[in-house]
Amino acid sequence: MKNSMFRLAYYSHNHLPDDAATFAVSIQELLEKSRANNLRDGITGALLFNKGCFAQVLEGSLDKVEAAFERIQQDERHGDVSLLALDPIEQRSFPNWAMGFIGKSQKCAERFSTIGTLSGFDPTALNGGEIQSLLRDLALEEETAYQS
Amino acid sequence: MNATMYLSQKPEATAADILSYEQILDVLPHPILLVRFDGVIIYANQASQAMLEAVVGKDVYQLFPSFSPRIVTDADHSTHLIVSKDGRSFEATPEFVSDGIILLDLRRLLNGPVGTASRDRDELTGLMNRQALLSRMSRTLGQGGACRPIAVHCLDLDRFKMVNDTLGHVVGDLLLKKVAGRLQSACGGGDAIARIGGDEFVILQHDVTDEATAAKLASRIVDIVGRTYVIHSHTINIGVSVGVAIETEASQACNLLRNGELALSEAKTDRGRYCIFQPGMDTCLIQRREIEVDLRRAVALKQFKLNYQPFVDVLTNEVAGFEALLRWEHPAKGFIPPLTFIPVAEETGLITKIGDWVMRTACEEAVSWPGEVIVAVNVSPLQFRAHTLLQTVASALERSGLPAHRLEIEITEGALLDDTEKVVQTLNALRDLGVKISMDDFGTGYSSLSYLQKFPFDKIKIDRSFVAVDSEDSAAILKSIATLGNSLGMAITAEGVETTEQLARVRSERCTHVQGYLTGRPMGANQIPSFFTQLG
Repeated sequence: MKNSMFRLAYYSHNHLPDDAATFAVSIQELLEKSRANNLRDGITGALLFNKGCFAQVLEGSLDKVEAAFERIQQDERHGDVSLLALDPIEQRSFPNWAMGFIGKSQKCAERFSTIGTLSGFDPTALNGGEIQSLLRDLALEEETAYQS
Repeated sequence: MNATMYLSQKPEATAADILSYEQILDVLPHPILLVRFDGVIIYANQASQAMLEAVVGKDVYQLFPSFSPRIVTDADHSTHLIVSKDGRSFEATPEFVSDGIILLDLRRLLNGPVGTASRDRDELTGLMNRQALLSRMSRTLGQGGACRPIAVHCLDLDRFKMVNDTLGHVVGDLLLKKVAGRLQSACGGGDAIARIGGDEFVILQHDVTDEATAAKLASRIVDIVGRTYVIHSHTINIGVSVGVAIETEASQACNLLRNGELALSEAKTDRGRYCIFQPGMDTCLIQRREIEVDLRRAVALKQFKLNYQPFVDVLTNEVAGFEALLRWEHPAKGFIPPLTFIPVAEETGLITKIGDWVMRTACEEAVSWPGEVIVAVNVSPLQFRAHTLLQTVASALERSGLPAHRLEIEITEGALLDDTEKVVQTLNALRDLGVKISMDDFGTGYSSLSYLQKFPFDKIKIDRSFVAVDSEDSAAILKSIATLGNSLGMAITAEGVETTEQLARVRSERCTHVQGYLTGRPMGANQIPSFFTQLG
């Protein structure tokens, strides 16, 4: 049980700074920290973000996924975390863990295109299943605009 | 020999040529830390990184939750026993190395004074325990003016018992550990966190410059601890209530804790929120305690009496019965309204005794009333939970000789909220005795129609608020409850009828009974004979 493979999905409202530059720095920090943790723990998945929210799928052994989720819950850079799924899976649907911008804001799409490319973010993986596409739709719905 | 001496007594220049001092420190098998006065680690050798997850920039309080600031401030060569967050004991020898910086030489105590260690910490979570918290508090408060104000946060988990009951103690324990972890991440390094009971925690927050600082931490705790947990693939949702007391002047540890607990009980009335102690809160509690003491005496001395308010059959204009109303005449304080003392009676369980007395007295006094006149007696939801109600009613009827059909029991929806099945069983047993059952205060609570379906009440009493207010809305509500009752074959009493207009309206909506000042005020048992004589 402890080592069987699970998939967890949630979305949350992000509390990142409002101004574009600090937002970008925070995203970069998040990417580095999470990538290191997830690589170490054998977790794959995708973290989608935009100005309004985070939406993430995590796949891996149950104990690692639970530990990652606990770290996420202690993080004050977001709130109103809605857990959408926690289910056993036969196999992974993401080859790696990556993070990418998802949203209609053209400015953000450009700004964060390198993060997506460098971390190996593949938007087509989000067509893979019900929960993945649900997450994508939720993320799009929760996108907000910059204040400035 | 400790590390500083080792370094200073190695004057041969060759040592530094071969190894840097840092490399030498990294070879040592025991942890060495350089700590700034504010507790921030500015150097950690490899052993401390491996054994304690010490990292430069981290706070020493994060490694040792019960770390005393005195170790840093009076580095006096004496050794201190400190316990790491996972419960291992270390002997710490602090040394000044330069201005504002001390070196901590830490030796693991393998067969150390286990007694001391476990006396200071909570086994399960590795947090401080109550004892360690109290001594930490009195130390901090004892420092007086030199120290900036502190705040005490008293925490109590909401719905934790349910987790233990449904998922078992193993998951419950893991949950408590995760809660401890979240508290550590929500708190600042200098704050002390203790588990003082099953699901009770206390946080001692330092450097509380103003109320907003404390409020910020409290609301962060409510947010973070209240977030969903995942344990062994179970999704768990609990909440936390927080009571905060801020030290205003030199107060004692126990006073500060007491104020925090008071604020906590205030917070718990709504759950999942924090509440900051206000001076008025203790007077409220003191008053409540006084009522409790007085109430116990009143039960013993039988300072209660019953008043009776008539209710009238709308069709015949005859008095159908009286509702028994409890009155408490305090010898010194005078009349104490039921709204003041009934909640205390319910909270303390005294309601069962009082309820028994009311039932017995009402039956005894009603037996002399003429004809088929009914006595209606209110029964608290708590009396159902005591499981002795049936026996109380049966013996009251037997002792008084009152025929069962002349007794009507009034319950509120609250009685049906918990353990509905059991309550319905009791109601059926009461009905089998021949007693009538009515639903009181209908319209003010949940007004759930499912309760009306679960038990065939003899009567519904419509709350006075729908009678007193002359608006289209209350008229509509009155009308629909009356229609509902009529079609379910239940009698309907409209309460609080005070004017002839209200009476006319109630009559036109086909209510069967009215009760209110217009048809008769509450009266003592001894006034009832003359009341009947006046009616002729």
